[in-house]
Amino acid sequence: MMVLRILLLVALQALLLRDISPLGEWTQPQWALWALLLIPPQSGAFVKLLGGFAMGVFLDIALGTYGQHMLAGTMLGGLMPALHNLFAPREGYEVTDRPILRDMGSSWLLGFTLASALVYHLVLMVVTEWYWHLMPAAILPTLTSACFTTVCCMVTHMIVYSPERRKTGS
Amino acid sequence: MRNLWLLLQRNAFFLAFIALLAVSLSVLFRHNGAARSTWFSRTGSVHSKVEQQRHQWSNYLRLAEQNTSLAEENAELRARLLSMEMETGWEEDTLRGWTVHSGMLVKGPDGAPLSLSLATPGQDKAIEAGMGVLAGGAAFGTVEEVGEAHSRILTLLHGAASWSCRIRRGGPVVSLGWDGVDFERLQLVDVPRHIQAQRGDSIFTSGYDLRFPPDILMGTVLESRRTSGADFISISVKPAVDFLSVRHLEFIQHRSDSERVALAAPPEP
Repeated sequence: MMVLRILLLVALQALLLRDISPLGEWTQPQWALWALLLIPPQSGAFVKLLGGFAMGVFLDIALGTYGQHMLAGTMLGGLMPALHNLFAPREGYEVTDRPILRDMGSSWLLGFTLASALVYHLVLMVVTEWYWHLMPAAILPTLTSACFTTVCCMVTHMIVYSPERRKTGS
Repeated sequence: MRNLWLLLQRNAFFLAFIALLAVSLSVLFRHNGAARSTWFSRTGSVHSKVEQQRHQWSNYLRLAEQNTSLAEENAELRARLLSMEMETGWEEDTLRGWTVHSGMLVKGPDGAPLSLSLATPGQDKAIEAGMGVLAGGAAFGTVEEVGEAHSRILTLLHGAASWSCRIRRGGPVVSLGWDGVDFERLQLVDVPRHIQAQRGDSIFTSGYDLRFPPDILMGTVLESRRTSGADFISISVKPAVDFLSVRHLEFIQHRSDSERVALAAPPEP
């Protein structure tokens, strides 16, 4: 299921959503990140790591970036267990907890999404710019892009897991 | 083995993380020119440092071997030297274009300001006026006049002579003379104030007077004194030749000496 979700979002980002950037380099979202963020916090660390790596591989193949998303995805996948621990509630995660608004609350979702987006975009910035002297000029667009990715993920989340839709469905 | 396996199991996630990062980086380096060039330049510099260090160690470890080889070579040369007889005649130095004839000092300078010296040979061994004279490889003087079997030498210890020289190799050209007082002290005359000379600096022939090749040792700086208000400094020089004990001389002449003298002479009106 996770792999399918990643594949679907990668395809969507590569084919349709890659051009949605209202402010150019200042708002370059990574839509596929949302698929990775939907991995439940209580999942094994290997699942998160391999999920991040797989997402990077698919994105690199789809976008022709060769290794940039792979590195950023692997880094995020490797740091996800630590991020989950960092944002864990005091009593820990329930076995049935899913990383959605209803289960984890808005502050958890927003904080975790923003932290993950920051990690991903910063690594992506480093491997894209590569030279130290180019980094200062790229840091602000990276931060705003991470914020924009967070907004996009939250919007997607609200659309897919909207409380009203659940009520209608039930 | 079991402990190693347990260690690997315990750190499996970290190792997998590193492995996947390595895979990602290898893909990145393969396809990203900037990343690849940075990688190669960094690893290249590290590699060269490692190689340099290895070379140093290798040289150090080969010292014993080189030492043995040098000792063997030394022994062979010493054996050849001991089996040779001392040659009395001097051979022509064709390498630098200078011809060298041996000679013997008959009468050396006696300390008087205008004293002259006598040496053998003379015309019988093709000695000519104007040839440079060395003693022990250092500048001694020049041939002033030539007889059948003797030559009159104008040495550095002559109060009326001045010699073109340099302070250090490639340094400024100045004139060396003798004030006729102390035969262990020559003087560099008319040295401008801006020229730096330290005690121990070597004084060499400049080669401009056509008698000596350049860079023949003449002496070493003993003392540099600057008088306030004067435009020149006075520099005392200890001659490289010991004029009291010198016996063997070498008369030197450039193979194209006549041509050089003719070209250097002022044109006739």
